[in-house]
Amino acid sequence: MLILSRKTNESIVIDGRITVKIVRVEGDVVKLGVEAPADVPVHRQEVYEEIQRNNKEALTQGRPALPRLPEGKPKKHLKQPATGTPV
Amino acid sequence: MNTCETIESVETNRLEAVTVANENIVHLPLGLLGFESIKRYALLQNTNETPFRWLQVIDQPDLAFLVLPALEIFPDYEPDVPAEDVKFLGLNHPDDALVFNIVTLAAKGSATANLKGPIVINRFTLKGKQVVLANAARYSIQHPLPLSR
Repeated sequence: MLILSRKTNESIVIDGRITVKIVRVEGDVVKLGVEAPADVPVHRQEVYEEIQRNNKEALTQGRPALPRLPEGKPKKHLKQPATGTPV
Repeated sequence: MNTCETIESVETNRLEAVTVANENIVHLPLGLLGFESIKRYALLQNTNETPFRWLQVIDQPDLAFLVLPALEIFPDYEPDVPAEDVKFLGLNHPDDALVFNIVTLAAKGSATANLKGPIVINRFTLKGKQVVLANAARYSIQHPLPLSR
C-alpha cells in the first residue's frame, strides 16, 4: 500500500483524473473531498460492500415463487432532490 | 419512441415468449454494485406478479433481479437521490425517475427490499444507476416486506 503524508487542503491525484483532497481533520475523523469523472463511482467502503453482498444474495436463477403482498397503499412521489432546481 | 426500429428477442423462463422492445431495455452504465460488467437489463412485468418486476440480464436470460417500487408499498419512504446522481441520470424533475428496489427472497417465503441503495432510472432515456441515497442512514438494506397470509 502506498502511504503518503498530506496536510489540510493538500491533495493527491490518481490516474490524472481523480483528485482526493484533505478538507478537514477533526480528531480521528478526516473529511475528504473527491473529484472524479461521472463514470467513476465513489462509495464508502462498508456501504459498497453491504450493497454488493445484498445484490449477490438477491440475484435469482430460474423461477422462484413470489410472495403475496397486501394491496392498496397510496402511491407516493419521489422526494425533490436536494438540489431543488432542475439540472 | 419508435418501438419498431430495434427489437430483440430475449430467451426467458420467466415469461413464455418475450419480445423485448428497445424501450424496455434499461442501461446501467455502471452496472450494479458487484455486477459492474452487466450493463443491459430487460425490465419485465407480469400482471399477475404486480407489484414485482424483473430486471433480467439481457445476455444471460436465466439471471435476473427481482425488484419492486418501494414508494408504492411504504408511504414513509422518501429516497433522497444525491445531486451528482440526479445530474448523472439527467433527471430534470422528480417525476422523471423510476425507483426500483432490489428484493431478496428468503427462506420460509419471506422477502426483504433494499431501501438504502435503490435503482433509479430516467423514465425517458432508461439510463439507470444503483444509487446510495443521501439519506441512506435512515433505511435498511434488508427491509422486510409486508406479506399477506
